[in-house]
Amino acid sequence: MSKKIKANIISISVSVLLTFLITVLVLLIIGKNPAEVFIMMFEDVFGSGYGFGQTLFKATPLIICGCGLAICFHASLFNIGAEGQLNAGAFVTALVAFALSNAGFLIAVPAALICGFIVSGALGLVPAVIKVKKGVSEVITTIMMNFIILASINFFLIDFFAVKSTVHTEKIPDGIMISKMSDLLPGFQGSSLNLTFVFAILMAVATYFFIYKTKTGYKIRSVGFNETASRYMGIKTNRIVMLAFFIGSGLTSFVGMNFIMGYKGYYEFGFSNNLGFTAIAVALLAKNNPIGIIFSALLFGFLDYGGLAVNTLVPKEIMFVIQGIVILTILSVDKLVEKYYLK
Amino acid sequence: MNIIEFSNISKKFGNLKANDNISFAVRKNSVHCIVGENGAGKSTLMKILFGSYRQDSGIMKVNGSDVSFNSPLDAIANGIGMLHQHFMLIEDFTVMENVILGSEKTLNIKIDFEESERVLKEYIKKYNLDLNLNKKISELSISEQQKVEILKLLYRNSEIIIFDEPTAVLSPIEVLEFFKIIFQFKVEGKTIILITHKLNEVREISDYVSVLRRGKLVYETEKDILDLKVLSREIVGNVEIQDENTGFDYEGEPEVIAGLNNINLSVNKISVLNNLDLKLKKGEVYGICGVEGNGQNEVINILFGLEKNFTGKLNIFTDKISLVPDDRLKKGMIKEFSVGENLIIKKKECHYISNKCLKKTAEETISKYDVRMPDINAPMESLSGGNQQKVIIAREIELGNDLLIFSHPTRGVDIAASAFIHSTILQQKKKGKSILLVSSDLDEILKLSDRLGVISKGRIVAEFDRNQYNLQNEVEKTILLESIGKLMIGITGEQKN
Repeated sequence: MSKKIKANIISISVSVLLTFLITVLVLLIIGKNPAEVFIMMFEDVFGSGYGFGQTLFKATPLIICGCGLAICFHASLFNIGAEGQLNAGAFVTALVAFALSNAGFLIAVPAALICGFIVSGALGLVPAVIKVKKGVSEVITTIMMNFIILASINFFLIDFFAVKSTVHTEKIPDGIMISKMSDLLPGFQGSSLNLTFVFAILMAVATYFFIYKTKTGYKIRSVGFNETASRYMGIKTNRIVMLAFFIGSGLTSFVGMNFIMGYKGYYEFGFSNNLGFTAIAVALLAKNNPIGIIFSALLFGFLDYGGLAVNTLVPKEIMFVIQGIVILTILSVDKLVEKYYLK
Repeated sequence: MNIIEFSNISKKFGNLKANDNISFAVRKNSVHCIVGENGAGKSTLMKILFGSYRQDSGIMKVNGSDVSFNSPLDAIANGIGMLHQHFMLIEDFTVMENVILGSEKTLNIKIDFEESERVLKEYIKKYNLDLNLNKKISELSISEQQKVEILKLLYRNSEIIIFDEPTAVLSPIEVLEFFKIIFQFKVEGKTIILITHKLNEVREISDYVSVLRRGKLVYETEKDILDLKVLSREIVGNVEIQDENTGFDYEGEPEVIAGLNNINLSVNKISVLNNLDLKLKKGEVYGICGVEGNGQNEVINILFGLEKNFTGKLNIFTDKISLVPDDRLKKGMIKEFSVGENLIIKKKECHYISNKCLKKTAEETISKYDVRMPDINAPMESLSGGNQQKVIIAREIELGNDLLIFSHPTRGVDIAASAFIHSTILQQKKKGKSILLVSSDLDEILKLSDRLGVISKGRIVAEFDRNQYNLQNEVEKTILLESIGKLMIGITGEQKN
């Protein structure tokens, strides 16, 4: 096992390094000075509490969503539907929080989160049931579910719940907002970083514990490795598939906490900005290890905010290019490490 | 003339010396058996010969000249072919497509199927392979799939053919057919290297025998002076093989623990179980023998609760059932998990899976069942077949269940581990457990079971109890074995007592 962990660390570091080199090359090709770009990026991210806070803020939902997806991925369920699942969950979270706003923080927030979890989880169950009953690949069904869910949210939002001539719900009162990090650590002044970040870290630890240290987590991994053997070992594999999908999808709804209760106060259509897809990359980079996901989410948060920071020099889209390259390199470096290090 | 020469071949995996200074030669046009326990280094040596591994040191000569293979492609180019234990076939392709894949004969840009078919039909006729070139692999039985692999080797004009435990998946009659193919190979002037565990096979077909033990070549012999007792002693080293036949006695009528009554089952509209009746009693070993694919797996799945779409009556008077499945890799274990992880997954205790708990579970089993492995955290896939099987058996037995199902428990397992597994099964019987033993190895069934049923085409066509077959008279025994053999392939009419 320890050799495997070492191999993982090697392949992740090599691919990050490789990505860096490719990025330098790309910058040179488009006629920019890589040093200038990188210095500006680092100065912005690490030079001020605001920049650093924004980076952590961007990483928060990636940690949360990445952990949810990791549970699915451990069961070998390639859930591409997080984008839809998390939007539905966040939407419901915002509605419930608003409806219960008179009940106070201690009731409204947990209730809203639980309702969001159930809705996201239930939507995750749809592809799970179709897979278990009819053997349809979850890749196809989850992609289709994204279209269905996002269109439905749009319909319900515009027709029933949105504040007139906007695409967002009613703002929840300040009483049920989550504290800004800057309230505790004034250094983060101005950034949107809030306590959801701490929640995300705790969630990653809990997910790690769940996957690697509980019987259920073992069963999920066992089904992921070899479903037939799991069945012959007496594991109710269908139940595990549904459970993994329910919990995994359910957890993605917690991204709403960061945006709604920690930042804007309402659900806004399109807030996720492909978060559900980026999180796939985050989980992949971390090999579905929740602790690793914290770090890969930080890297992606860094690229995300850093891209904004250097927007005057290079288009921020270059960061998407980098994100893509990271994934391609890790997938290929993995194979090399497997061949030359593990053998 | 020596067609292959190994001199001082060594190969290490970590600290384990898989091959330790091995030197011997294989004569042209001979059948050379390489025997040894699991983990003795047979497969490693053959993989070196076939180019899958590279030796750390030592020289290998083929046809008198030094060779160094970087991949199996180099070996194939040198006329070496290998039939692996696990077949390399594409299920959805036809027999012909599988055989020609990779070395297709072409006509302009088209694959020349007519020419291939002509060539292949010649081979099929010459070797009496009885294969339909247009059938898909998924429609074939295991023994037919093996013939497809053999056809592949023929098509590629292999002169030296390595068989890795080829008879492990065959029934006694299919083994005889297989031997005929081997003899035909010899007539054609080919050289055959055979890895095996089964000593009676060695006696039957080998010209030369090399014994490996713990990575070293320990003994060599040849046909005319072959002594199986010496051979088995050389294979296991100093381990005593105890005689298993402890006698079976029970008085009165034991209670029934599970009963299958008039069971019918169809899968994809093909009938697999056909009015099957079976009773398992407390404290007995019931053996089911038969050619593979006659409904054995379905019986197991029904008892274990994995198959529910059957008609008929199933009475099970316990819910504590253990299963050692037939295919370790596919059904028995998670190969990526460590030994401890594979054990703990079925354990009732240990809800929080700590490293301590994992280690303790693994250590207990390792010492109690004499499992040998590189290190305690190593994944199951790094263990040899016999040791993997011991872990699986340990897991199933330690649950303390009432009904234990063993499906081909010693397939691909060496002599010492087989003996261990057999005595474990008998111990469980003594404890009053009910045991269902499914095997295509008739010797194993006869040795262990109190009653045996012959399964053919989805039904038990005959049952015998121990005093019917525990015969001392060799002639009677032979007659009985023959009639069981015939029942297995469904030659005689159905008679059931």
